[in-house]
Amino acid sequence: MDLLRIEGVSKHFGGLNAVDDCSFTVEEGSLTGLIGPNGAGKSTVFNLISGLYEPESGSIKLDGEELAGRSPDEIAALGVGRTFQTPRSFFTLSCLENLLASIPSRGEHLMSSILGTYRAEEEAATARAKDYLDLVGLGARSDISADELSGGELRMLEVARQLMRNPKILLLDEPTAGVTPTLQVRLAQTLRELHAQGLTVVVVEHNLGFLLDLVERVVVMVSGRVLTDGDPDAIRSDPEVISAYLGRRDGDAA
Amino acid sequence: MNWGQLAITVVTLVSILGVVTLVLNMQYGHAGMINFGVVAYFAAGAYTYVLLTQPPPSETSLDQYVIGLDLPGWAGFVGAAIAGLVFAAITGWPTLRLRGEYLALTTFAFAEVFHSFIVNEQRFANGTRGLVGVPRPYREELSFIDYDIALAVASLLFLIIVYVIFERMVRSPYGRALEALRDDELALVTSGKRSRRFRLEIFLFTAPFAAMAGAFYVWYTTLAIPDLFTSEVTFVVWIALVLGGEGSNRGALIGITMVILFEELIRAIPFDTIRAAQIAASLEVAALGLLLIVFLRWQPFASLTRAPKRVARS
Amino acid sequence: MRVTQLIVLGFGTGAFLLIATLGFALVRRVEGFLNIAHAELMSVAAFVTWYLNAGLGWHFVLAAAVAVVVTAFIALGIARLIYDPIKHLGPPILLISSVGVAFLLHGITSAVIGVGIRSFQIPRLDAWSVGGVLVTPYRIVLLVLAALVAVGLALFLNKTRTGKSIRAMAINKELAGSRGINVTAASRATWLLAGVLAGLGGVALGVLGTLTTDIAFQQILVILAVAIVAGLGSLYGVIAAAFIVAFAMDLSLLILPGGYRPVIAFAIVIVVLLVRPQGVAGSRHELTA
Repeated sequence: MDLLRIEGVSKHFGGLNAVDDCSFTVEEGSLTGLIGPNGAGKSTVFNLISGLYEPESGSIKLDGEELAGRSPDEIAALGVGRTFQTPRSFFTLSCLENLLASIPSRGEHLMSSILGTYRAEEEAATARAKDYLDLVGLGARSDISADELSGGELRMLEVARQLMRNPKILLLDEPTAGVTPTLQVRLAQTLRELHAQGLTVVVVEHNLGFLLDLVERVVVMVSGRVLTDGDPDAIRSDPEVISAYLGRRDGDAA
Repeated sequence: MNWGQLAITVVTLVSILGVVTLVLNMQYGHAGMINFGVVAYFAAGAYTYVLLTQPPPSETSLDQYVIGLDLPGWAGFVGAAIAGLVFAAITGWPTLRLRGEYLALTTFAFAEVFHSFIVNEQRFANGTRGLVGVPRPYREELSFIDYDIALAVASLLFLIIVYVIFERMVRSPYGRALEALRDDELALVTSGKRSRRFRLEIFLFTAPFAAMAGAFYVWYTTLAIPDLFTSEVTFVVWIALVLGGEGSNRGALIGITMVILFEELIRAIPFDTIRAAQIAASLEVAALGLLLIVFLRWQPFASLTRAPKRVARS
Repeated sequence: MRVTQLIVLGFGTGAFLLIATLGFALVRRVEGFLNIAHAELMSVAAFVTWYLNAGLGWHFVLAAAVAVVVTAFIALGIARLIYDPIKHLGPPILLISSVGVAFLLHGITSAVIGVGIRSFQIPRLDAWSVGGVLVTPYRIVLLVLAALVAVGLALFLNKTRTGKSIRAMAINKELAGSRGINVTAASRATWLLAGVLAGLGGVALGVLGTLTTDIAFQQILVILAVAIVAGLGSLYGVIAAAFIVAFAMDLSLLILPGGYRPVIAFAIVIVVLLVRPQGVAGSRHELTA
């Protein structure tokens, strides 16, 4: 079943066609990669899905619900989780608090915060948060302030934050950028586990070595539209894809 | 020097203005909104209290005011709170989408418009002359103790209640969400939370307390004159906030205590001439400005101006 | 008739607002923040002029010139001592800091000058009657001065090396620095220039009317109104905005009592910020939270 359906989506910036009549679908429970040379529009697609940009045309449906035109918080609440190229976190909060701040809580309502009726829920959430921190390898760092984490750790924290929200689909934007090889292995492991548990994941990556070994399907974008899609082996040897990468001055194929 | 009287004055003023400082701390220290018009809620509360509790304007008196419902004191306070809420709603709702300095300007402008209105509209509350001798509530019921002490205790209780409420908010998930909002609004939004809702809530929830403080202020001074409700009040409270340093509720109280002590000690000095007193008052203003500058330089809201220690690296 | 009179008045007000706001807008554009203390600088200039002129008996022009220079250096001094060290904390913190500077300047000025009304010792020139409308010569002088200032500033920013570096800084500070422009020197020049403009504004205040130590506060909101209508940071827009606001304020006297004249400015601030925050000449960028 298609969880995410993108149809005919376009977005221009000034005179530039960042995304041009882009269409693809993502099946529920799949682990999909989104690749393409620089400027292909991959991150823009993510921004369109998560509502940071509004598409000029086309539709983006999550589980049948139209996302286009909604505000980012609405879209996030509907089940879209995403990470950013430069990991974002609440840097004055601890890792644990980062996760707790990412989910709706009774204590975030005025009356409840004053009366203190959020404690039971908070305890349960804390336990769940600790599990997720363990999952991404930050279990020992749960009380450390986020601004003391390394780049790789920040990335894992961001993933944990989004997982905490139980999203329907998780969009990862270049998760291996600036991450050590050791941590990359851990990341791949985590993603496989999540995939095994049924989470739908879409990963944008330049690091093709990492990506093609991980995902079960790859969508290739060039110049704002989808060039082709298929399984990693097919894509790896697809002459069109290779020339798309090599033909660009700044293209890179890890 | 009557230390007892000084103590009562300090306690009362710290309590009343302390509430306003706490309100400002919640709005700026925790929700990041620069409000340069807090005096407007203070004034709205004060004038509403007066208009509700004064006897109806008489034909014979020279004082003009638009209405006088002669309600008991507590109704005046409730009315003040409502007035604060209404004023915050009118001025806050459209402006909260504005960033930092723009919000500061609009709130400043709103406060000045309100002040101008009070000054210019004779029929509203007697214009620049204002209303003098506003009766203090519950005079008879409290005749068994010194009224000033009763007032000090009442204001202090009010301060404590407000402090407890605000602190509970700050220490709860609500406070955590506010911190997250300040740290990275985009991250919060992509986690499914609406930033505007928090800002609006804080704005609307805290304003009534500042308004009630205004009512207490009239209770204390028995005066409702525009000169008492100028933007100077806003900025003195801001100075108190900066002096307190941490951007915390406790810091806010420390700051306002410092400012009030400073002011009252200067006021207690017996000056020989009017000119000497005037110079002292002016130098006090200069000193407050200097303190603001100095504290902002060396202790600038550490929790607010903090940026990530380093850019992400592996 | 009354309308014409008010329009004449408006030209004078507009000229004053132009001079007063140019310095403010310059700082906003180049240094990036709203310097609330700008109005107090005007007050300082006005009272230094008064002291030298009415107090020590100097010729008005000499007194004014000295005051303007003094104000320029005070502006520079404040910038170096107070604003520069905390620049990295961002415009909101600088804004709050400028409130402190305003308090400081106001306190010192009123301690030294005291209460009461002061005025310059300048020749009393009678108003001319032009077709039934009264025109004070000083307003004409002010208009001429405003024109000179505007043209002078434009020339300075476009033709001189310092001026061009200031413009480059205003557009993009980091880029300017990397292109070899001496950012520190340009910044200092900006503050001196802003101080000169504030000084001229202060002198104009004293020429137009009497002075009290509270006069600065009354002006800051009007200056803010002009700056906002211009689109914060736009210098050419200030010319148009100064007269728009001036005419709005003065023509309002047709329907509102005089006490509400400044309220027009405040109302303009509110309306513009809510409806079109980028003002007349600015472009929308990251204005919203």
